[in-house]
Amino acid sequence: MLEVLNVTKRFGGLVALKNVSLKIERGERVAIVGPNGSGKTTLFNVINGVYKPDEGRVLFEGVDITDLPAYRRAHLGIARAFQIPRPFPNITVRESAAIGALFGSYYGRIGVREALEIADEKLKLVNLYDKRFELTGRLTVPELKLLELARALASKPKLLLLDEIVAGMPPAMVDHLMLLVRRVADEEGIAIATLVEHVMRAVVRFADRVIVLHLGSKILEGGPEEVLRNPLMEEIYLGRRWSP
Amino acid sequence: MTLSRTHILALLTLYAIILGLRILVEVVGPLGPITGQLLTLLAFYIALGQAFNIFLGMTGYVDFGYVAFMALGMYGMASGVVRAYEAGLPGYYGIVFGLIQTITLTSLLALIVGGIALRLRGAYFAIATISVNEGLRYLVEGLDIWEGSRGLIVSGPLIRLFGSEGFSLLATIISDIMVFSVALLALVISIVFLNTRIGYALKAIREDEDAARVMGVNTTMYKVLAFTTSGILGGLLGAAWSFKVASIYPPDAFNILYTIEAIILVMLGGAGTLAGPIVSGTLYGSLKYFLAGILPGFQLLVFAPILVAVIVVAPEGIVGALRAYIPATRRFIA
Repeated sequence: MLEVLNVTKRFGGLVALKNVSLKIERGERVAIVGPNGSGKTTLFNVINGVYKPDEGRVLFEGVDITDLPAYRRAHLGIARAFQIPRPFPNITVRESAAIGALFGSYYGRIGVREALEIADEKLKLVNLYDKRFELTGRLTVPELKLLELARALASKPKLLLLDEIVAGMPPAMVDHLMLLVRRVADEEGIAIATLVEHVMRAVVRFADRVIVLHLGSKILEGGPEEVLRNPLMEEIYLGRRWSP
Repeated sequence: MTLSRTHILALLTLYAIILGLRILVEVVGPLGPITGQLLTLLAFYIALGQAFNIFLGMTGYVDFGYVAFMALGMYGMASGVVRAYEAGLPGYYGIVFGLIQTITLTSLLALIVGGIALRLRGAYFAIATISVNEGLRYLVEGLDIWEGSRGLIVSGPLIRLFGSEGFSLLATIISDIMVFSVALLALVISIVFLNTRIGYALKAIREDEDAARVMGVNTTMYKVLAFTTSGILGGLLGAAWSFKVASIYPPDAFNILYTIEAIILVMLGGAGTLAGPIVSGTLYGSLKYFLAGILPGFQLLVFAPILVAVIVVAPEGIVGALRAYIPATRRFIA
């Protein structure tokens, strides 16, 4: 469904992505793993149109979307939940979630009333329904992450890009959240790409497939257990073993 | 904020009161301190606030050149009237032609400036728009458009087209009602915006433009839409006001003071609120009118500390503060 073909992205002299290719199938869950600075976030930004790649193409459902602006990609069904939640502090929780529905893949087909209904439904799902009339700015950080998820789901995505939204959350909540995401994704056939910086078993276990980025290149790809056992992982995160 | 019928009814009541007073004063004469002049001023400031609120209030972008739209409206209407007079056509041809010119000129300006300058953010956008306003002023003077710095004389042609009685009605009650209609039109458009996708897009842009784009908001389109709507309304306000001036000079028409007043009106009432402009327009207009009587020449000096106080005490504006601190008001004040 999503195809990234030989993408290279440079920032001045820094090569953030080097000839990266990957594929994500419908309903698949892929974890993109790599230490800080490995190019994960740049990859997401190239997929959802914040950046245009210097080389290579991005295809979504067979259509070349490389030159489409970010907002058009959202209409096609690519949603993003940010790592640092981007709340709209002065509007209500309900309105924030409704923005997801109005401008996602329903774009142009639903009115405000339907969008608010969808928002309510997704807020119930993440347990924020009771706070729907609060200003977004009053939510706690874990609540903001739940809202971020609700907003992304309200847009009825085909592909959901999850930044490392579980970072900084209590472990019990991480499990709960990942199970929730998994259930909804299965029900609605949503493909998920999630970023993982610190190798968290909970998240990796959640994935069907793991892709490892290091210094802008894809160096490993495969099933979660297989990838985690690979000695290269230790090297990336801890450095090369000293040998005489 | 979700608009209910009560909100809309409350707003229309406030409008009806001021419009009703203006008509009453026309019929029975001044009611104590409430004179036609005072109500004219109120109508002007309410319309200015309500029209500018659609852009500044809803998007958070500060257009420091807003007066350029009013100036083009004044010139558009006045030159239409003058042309009709010179061509020997009846007066209402001039007014219709003036309206067409106003809408054409202001939408052109909005699309050109908006298409370019709305790529800039924050202070850069404000600076760009100041330059557009000053540039237009010198263009009118330098190229001698609309009589340039000699001034475009309006009252003469108006008197000859409508007779002196017709002219005095046109310059007072009729233009007041036109000004008021602009305010009402701006209010209705604001309500429509808020209750549709457009309002949500503008809110998202005001809160976080980059996030809005990723969430599927075509930010450029909605910003240009708000800018153009607000600009055309500003032009219509200028057109309605042009019947009250004897002649139009570029330094008066492009006077940045009106932009500053527009910003004050939006911030004082509460940016993005619907009732804000009518509250701040009434307050600002009355203060200005009465201070001019009590302390002539000192009104701005008295006004400054009052404004500073409001901004320090209630940065969200009067209506914003009411809604925040007295939850009961949320049911009927939007």
